[in-house]
Amino acid sequence: MSEASKHLVKFSDVSKKFGVVSALDKVSFEIGHGEFVFITGPSGAGKTTILKLILAELLPDSGKVEVGGVNTGNLKESETPLFRQKIGVVFQDFKVLMERTVAENVEVALAVIGLPEKEWSERVKHVLKLVGLTKQTNLFPAQLSGGELQRVSLARALVVNPMILLADEPTGNLDWETSDSVMELFEKINKEGKTVIMATHNKEIVKKHQKRVIHIVGGKISKT
Amino acid sequence: MNIHLKTATDYIKRAPFQAAAAVFILTLTFFVATLVSILVYSSSKVLMYFETRPQVIAFLKDDASDTDIAALQHKLEGDSRIKDVKYVSKEEALSIYKNATSDNPLLGELVSPSIFPASLEFSVKDLSFTQNIIDEVKGEKIVDSVGFTAALGGENNLKDVVGRLKTITTYVRVGGIVFTGILALASFFMLLITITMRIATRKEEVEILKLIGATKGFISKPIFLESLIYALVGVLIGWVLAFIAVLYSAPTIVSYFGEIPVLPKDTLSLLEVFGIIFGLEVVLGSILAFAGSSIAISRVKKLR
Repeated sequence: MSEASKHLVKFSDVSKKFGVVSALDKVSFEIGHGEFVFITGPSGAGKTTILKLILAELLPDSGKVEVGGVNTGNLKESETPLFRQKIGVVFQDFKVLMERTVAENVEVALAVIGLPEKEWSERVKHVLKLVGLTKQTNLFPAQLSGGELQRVSLARALVVNPMILLADEPTGNLDWETSDSVMELFEKINKEGKTVIMATHNKEIVKKHQKRVIHIVGGKISKT
Repeated sequence: MNIHLKTATDYIKRAPFQAAAAVFILTLTFFVATLVSILVYSSSKVLMYFETRPQVIAFLKDDASDTDIAALQHKLEGDSRIKDVKYVSKEEALSIYKNATSDNPLLGELVSPSIFPASLEFSVKDLSFTQNIIDEVKGEKIVDSVGFTAALGGENNLKDVVGRLKTITTYVRVGGIVFTGILALASFFMLLITITMRIATRKEEVEILKLIGATKGFISKPIFLESLIYALVGVLIGWVLAFIAVLYSAPTIVSYFGEIPVLPKDTLSLLEVFGIIFGLEVVLGSILAFAGSSIAISRVKKLR
């Protein structure tokens, strides 16, 4: 990715259809380095589609998606993994590996980027301390609460020091108190300079954190 | 432990019966493959034994002069189809006879060198040349008659013996390869089924790995390793069982075949033969594992 690009993420007239359903219709926006952006809107508005387009999990039918200066439409199949390694993702349903311990879940991300094994321990310790899971290092996901699972997901995303952190409804499965503590973590990470793009329909969170909002309704941006 | 190896061993632990079935079939395959290899080795040794010992004896007429004998010997030595030409005088023939009847000295005392003809013994490089050579040697004026070693059964059924030996050797080789091939195919399908099922059960894991930027190689590595573990464990157990079976039956086999070296005489040579077989089986097992898992992976869209 080109570090020199002015905008970290740039959508230019992006449209995406699933069959006859239009998920995004000529959407354009830009997100700069170090920003914290909420993508809001009702269910089915196209929030997750935007995140998937950024992650190159989906490609636009028309228009252009640029991430770190890379046009995702031009990515070769073999280039996609390396592209994704620079993006951290946190999912609503956590997507942790159930048969791996907390530490191992985080280590997997380091193995994916090809970091030498001897460097894992220190980075895993550091990131687990950051998300407050030091005591749970050797526990399995089944032994963790929802909030803790979300922290594992966050730790896995952060450990590779990504350029952007994508979060798809990270508080969707959490109670208010836990959501609050997870959001504080995202805020802390953003303050350290990381770009955070979070899809959420939780108005309370958006209201409380006072960040830039891209509001999508019916596949179109209604407010940015 | 390496993360890929750990993942592979975790998959095995997760479905131990599938793993046991795969290892069982592979063990059976390599057990049979080892025995077939030994059988092929032994049959080739038997064939070589008959091919390399003096098979043809040209008995010389009593009035054959030394010059004529030397000339014939020289002629035979110059023939590219013939090797190891040896002149056996009447005295040497008597000595051989006495040695052969040493358990009954009276038989040796009753005979004199004069009743034994001198002879020229030689081997034929390929048994298929034998009949022609015999016919040619028979035509020599100093040759009285031509005979064969007792092991081959005499002149009259030479063709039968040679044919039988070659047929048996071919049957052993072809039959062994076909049988081992069938078992190898069964092992291949077993690996394919096991690995395909394994990939299907870890669909979500694959999806997660893809989203965090794992390459196809990264996702495939534990799958290859799992296949390789099955294959190598199968090779090891099958080979060890076959080795024990051969060691156990070696004394009986060796005494049955007598001087024919169907198995190496000393343990070191036997180990050497088994070592080579093991090496080849490791290569074959690795190929099976690689092919099985590659096809399984290519059949699962999620990994593409």
